[in-house]
Amino acid sequence: MTGYLLEISQALMALALAPGLVGFVRWWKARLQGRRGAPPWLVYYDLRKLFGKEVVISKNASWLFRFTPYLVFSSTLAVTLLVPLIAAPLPFDRVGDLLLVVYLLLLGTFFLALAGLDPGTAFGGMGASREMTIAAIAEPTIALSIFGLAVGAGSTNLGRIVAQTLAHPGAAISPGHLLGFAALFIVMLAETGRLPVDNPSTHLELTMIHEAMTLEYSGRYLALIEWAAALRLLIFFSLLANMFAPWGVATTLTPVAVSVAVIALIAKLGALGLVVALLETRLAKLRLFRVPELLAVSFVLALLAVTSSFLLR
Amino acid sequence: MNEHDAVFAQLATLGASLVLLFGIALLWRRSLRAYTKAFQWQSLVLSGMFVLVGYFGHDPQLYLMAVFFFVLKVLVIPWYLARLQRQVGGERESQPYVNIATSLITSGVLVLLAYIITRPVVRVSALPTRGGLPLAVGLIFVGLFVTITRRKALTQVVGFLVLENGIAMLAVLGTYGIPLIIELGVFLDVLMGFLVMQVFVYHIHGTFESIDVDQLDQLKH
Repeated sequence: MTGYLLEISQALMALALAPGLVGFVRWWKARLQGRRGAPPWLVYYDLRKLFGKEVVISKNASWLFRFTPYLVFSSTLAVTLLVPLIAAPLPFDRVGDLLLVVYLLLLGTFFLALAGLDPGTAFGGMGASREMTIAAIAEPTIALSIFGLAVGAGSTNLGRIVAQTLAHPGAAISPGHLLGFAALFIVMLAETGRLPVDNPSTHLELTMIHEAMTLEYSGRYLALIEWAAALRLLIFFSLLANMFAPWGVATTLTPVAVSVAVIALIAKLGALGLVVALLETRLAKLRLFRVPELLAVSFVLALLAVTSSFLLR
Repeated sequence: MNEHDAVFAQLATLGASLVLLFGIALLWRRSLRAYTKAFQWQSLVLSGMFVLVGYFGHDPQLYLMAVFFFVLKVLVIPWYLARLQRQVGGERESQPYVNIATSLITSGVLVLLAYIITRPVVRVSALPTRGGLPLAVGLIFVGLFVTITRRKALTQVVGFLVLENGIAMLAVLGTYGIPLIIELGVFLDVLMGFLVMQVFVYHIHGTFESIDVDQLDQLKH
């Protein structure tokens, strides 16, 4: 019972933290570029403002357009129930494993691309086609890089993998782990629309990917989509942090262990946020046609991760 | 396997993967400068591997070899490459025979192949370093692949040097370093080979005003 309670509160915590994380990355980025930057909690105000605004929808949009924000939001929220954020073996581990996580994330991407096409604007279609180009290479890489860990742990269950790594800390510097981490990091940048792939802070029509698909949305629909995007960033960060360096994750459900886990999670998210902000100030955006090459790098890394952990067992 | 060997095995495999990683990173880059840089980093990690194997395998000779290796491949050859590049022009590898995404996937497949063909050796070997053997063979394949698919003479030279790094890594992981005198001979050979290639590059450039080897099948006069 406590397990289920913890699971629900973990999802709620992720929901509450996600906009703050996005704001935090933006704030660091501004600081690093010598600007004062908006406070990290501005994103919460933005969401509240958007929820209060009127929704404007194109005449040509179908039910799909109205349905997508709810689907994107709920599928992303469902993923937070499956990813070990604060405690490792959880009751929902029985419901789904790594594959369900990957497919739920892909489901959101797929519907967002459909919704980009739906109103029939040029930008929406362009964004959808670009997003699909990226997703087609990125999604298998996510699965493959975590498979590298799954082979070592003998289970595709995310909670089990975390528990295994905690039991054998030496495995964390094995080539399978490191290559998998590098692969997932590159894919994370692509999937959450961060800099070398997509620029989250501009609406430049020649380069935008994620923004192009959501251009037609307004009001509460936009709020839901933005919130889901923030949640997606948090999910990828915590996959990177907790699958590859699971220290701090609670294995028993005592209050002390859980509060340590929450603090550790926030610290890890903060550290990763800082790394991403640093990268975003250092890197220039890649040309669109170079993006598949970057993703091919990460695919090869993930492939090698799986191979080396499979053959060096 | 005791604690000492377990740590050694982890570190050796880790180092070998890093070395291979730089070999693969090479495939993603286009400019000659980036090729040289990747090769330099790779050689740096590889000379670290010499030290590592020397320390855990109790073979002080390897320290000396690490120093030779460092001087030759991290300092001398990259410096020569940079000079050569200045003289013949910093051309970019803009259109290799195999495009970049395909070469990356191919190199992944080549490393898989290396895993498969070294499997019997790895299985009978009792060395703590056996986990790195497939990666070394994989690096040899990747080096060969770079050599045959790039269009510019200079990038082909870097491909050859990467291939040679693969052989050096195979030697140090598989046998804890061959006798010093042979290793010195090999180093000298590499240097000579490199100098000969350098002369070739000059001649190709002098004759065709480009180091694109595609033009070699045309008659000039």
